[in-house]
Amino acid sequence: MRKTNSPKKKTSVTVVHSLQEYEDRQISGSLEEVDAIIEEALGGTEDLSVRKFLIFGQHRAIMYGFSHMVNHVMINEAIMRPLMQPPYHLQGRSIPVEELADVLLQETLYHDDVSKENNVAALLRALLGGESVIVVEGLGEALLVGSRNIDKRGIEQPATEQVIRGPREGFIESLDTNLSLIRYRLQSAELRVEMRDIGRRTKSKVAVCYMEGITDPKLVEELDRRLDQIDIDGVLDSGYLEQFIEDHKWSPFPQVQYTERPDKIVANLLEGRLAIMVDGSPLALVVPTVFNQFYQTVEDYTERFLLMSAIRLARLVALVFSLVFPSLYVAIISFNPELIPTEFAVAVAGGRAGVPFPAVVEVLIMEVSMEVLREATIRLPQQVGGALSIVGVLVIGQAAVSAGFASPITVVIIALTTIGSFATPAYNAALALRLLRFPLIIMAGVFGLYGIMIGLIVIVNHLLSLKSFGVPYLSPFVPGDYNGLKDLLIRGPLGKMKRRPAFLNPQDTTKLAGTDDESGESEKGLPPLETTRPSPS
Amino acid sequence: MGNTNERPITMLQTATILVSTLIGVGVLPLPLFAVRAADSAAPFVTMLGIGFASISLLLLTWLGIRFPKETIFEYSNRIIGKWLGTVGTLLVILFFAILTSLAAREFGEVVVTSVLKSTPVEVTVIVMLVLAAISTRKPLTLFAYMHNFYFPWLLVPVVLISILSLNNAEIVNLQPIIWSHPQKVFIGTLTIAALFQGSFVITVIIPSMRKPQKAMRASIIGILIAGGLYLVIVSASVGVFGAEEIKKLLWPTLELAKATSLPANVLERLDAAFLAVWVTAVFTTLLSSYFLTLYALKQLFKMQDHRVFSFILLPFVFFMAMLPQNVTHLYGVIEDVGRIGLVITTAYPAVLALLAFVRKKRGESDG
Repeated sequence: MRKTNSPKKKTSVTVVHSLQEYEDRQISGSLEEVDAIIEEALGGTEDLSVRKFLIFGQHRAIMYGFSHMVNHVMINEAIMRPLMQPPYHLQGRSIPVEELADVLLQETLYHDDVSKENNVAALLRALLGGESVIVVEGLGEALLVGSRNIDKRGIEQPATEQVIRGPREGFIESLDTNLSLIRYRLQSAELRVEMRDIGRRTKSKVAVCYMEGITDPKLVEELDRRLDQIDIDGVLDSGYLEQFIEDHKWSPFPQVQYTERPDKIVANLLEGRLAIMVDGSPLALVVPTVFNQFYQTVEDYTERFLLMSAIRLARLVALVFSLVFPSLYVAIISFNPELIPTEFAVAVAGGRAGVPFPAVVEVLIMEVSMEVLREATIRLPQQVGGALSIVGVLVIGQAAVSAGFASPITVVIIALTTIGSFATPAYNAALALRLLRFPLIIMAGVFGLYGIMIGLIVIVNHLLSLKSFGVPYLSPFVPGDYNGLKDLLIRGPLGKMKRRPAFLNPQDTTKLAGTDDESGESEKGLPPLETTRPSPS
Repeated sequence: MGNTNERPITMLQTATILVSTLIGVGVLPLPLFAVRAADSAAPFVTMLGIGFASISLLLLTWLGIRFPKETIFEYSNRIIGKWLGTVGTLLVILFFAILTSLAAREFGEVVVTSVLKSTPVEVTVIVMLVLAAISTRKPLTLFAYMHNFYFPWLLVPVVLISILSLNNAEIVNLQPIIWSHPQKVFIGTLTIAALFQGSFVITVIIPSMRKPQKAMRASIIGILIAGGLYLVIVSASVGVFGAEEIKKLLWPTLELAKATSLPANVLERLDAAFLAVWVTAVFTTLLSSYFLTLYALKQLFKMQDHRVFSFILLPFVFFMAMLPQNVTHLYGVIEDVGRIGLVITTAYPAVLALLAFVRKKRGESDG
């Protein structure tokens, strides 16, 4: 955050259609003028529907709307019908034009989302966002009708974050639906949603959510500041924003977490984090992010703590494996074969007998081909993907060994590493470790175990120096935070995690009722049997 | 945002800084030093050394608490005057630069002798030094974080190896616990105490501590853990090998690792693995002495940032590291420099403390 890029304001001068020239214009009440303005601004695009009609049979009016974004049924029933055929109580009344706006708004339209607007730029923006604009001859204000209706897919299971025990809903592209998914889980007066538009041309709606009274207000300010500085033409996914608000652009490690699970967002909001959502993206961002979030899953909290602690440890082992396993293999084979038991060393040497390359070259070749295979399986259409993985596993693996290209042990090592990297729940963190594996293999090839340690020290020092929105990346391990430590390597019992982790600087630290008695009372666990049912307060 | 506290370092962090600074490459030849001084009474000599070292650490801590907002380079000017204070600071800079280079060279030799047999020692030394130089370019908070992070990795191998070696240990090897040559014991005590000189780093930590009054507790915890580990290693080595055998070994701790194997033969020998983990221990030690040198330079020139010096200093340190001709010469130099260094790390603070006490100087107390 220290090295913020100064926004390049000069580019916006050259943008012609940024609606800036309409910023100060008001509509005058002449239909011809409005028509000319819209024609000029939108260039006669053909998906704009222009409907001319008479209000109550006496006032000339035009309704504009992008025909593919508008809910036609609603417009016909709730807007057009009462406008063309005056409702019962208005029949026979002659309404002068100066009263017309109020009469329309208060007595005529059967729709909840209608407002008055006279600024041309605002009208155009609303029009582009899918609302309908009704302009009436002689009226200095236009009516904005919230008629937006975009087709969206249904709420499905999150594809990348599946759980066995836990909610099955995932975010979809529509921001409104996503916000409703959050609000329905977090029916709290403290939940705040701040909306803004980012993207000079796309005007993407961005929502920032946080809990008033829990989230550190300085974090909210800082996020606002960073979002304000973004000046890009289009934001097509939350990933665009991530790259503008992160602290260290040159680090391989992700400093912002993304998720498509509403329950995860709610849990993070309750811990004192902020969520950022972009209209059109099913992935919400969470800041500040610390490293331990990348190997935790929602399930850790829904299943009982003992089992999930063990599974979390397994995941951590997989994470470390995916980083150092191949380099350890290279170092031990090339420099310190005496470390492993003799029988095994002999077996390894036998397997490697026909392989012409040194271990480091062999492992690098296999790693690179593994990366190619993996990338290919992601890109291929599903029907072919299965076939390719069979080809990959059988042909490449088996044939490479029998061709004397790689030793069987190497294939095992590479396979373990690859599977280990899939066990990391967060794709972006797994990606970082996958990338760092290569320099480590090379270091192991040059300096053996010594090289691996040097490499790891460099990586750890880098991790220690990272910060996400001012929060040290390895919190709560370093700097130590007692309440956070309960949820680091293992997941402590929910009943014991009474306070929110302090590294997020929450305004309200109490998570569990009855935390204030710090005495031994709480250590005794459940209350006596007669009162086992915990009262809700 | 977050804790942008100006005094962020806690008591526990200070203790971990001390421990990981003190545990370093010096542990490898430690049993040899101790045995040379007193044969089977080696653990006893080690205890004497620890006692001597704790006196100097406690003196420094006492001074630090008396001047809770200043480092030794600042309050020395106030106690003994600007000129003498500057001379003292210069001596400290010189000594810790030498200490850095010797530690780097020593570990370079260890690596070249035991694992990377065909790598030139220059390469291993420069790799360690560059690593330390890059890492010292970070602020003091991060310096504390690094020590904090690596601290657990120091305890595991030492404790593991000591426990596993109990299999082969003979209590007879540790008897008699009495020595015969007081003069040799005295020199041995000094040599061992010299291994604790890294604790001088406490003087730059105290001004950044959240509660400087707690520095004394941190020092005591630090010296107890580090001293305890030293004692465990010496006892284990002497117990396994016996005094006479150790005299023939250059790095008895490493041999101890070599002689131990994990249960069920998962790893047949532990020396290479031990050495690999020990890279972190050496790294933290180097980091501390290098950082101390840079910090002293910064305060000598009254600069805002210590970073500029980290790479300027590197060639000099590397050059000094390459001066000793071979391992034997190196250890001669290490022992001599260490004992001379005690003048700087113990006698100098003692004089400062005495004068501060007599002249009733004290820093502004923490507000």
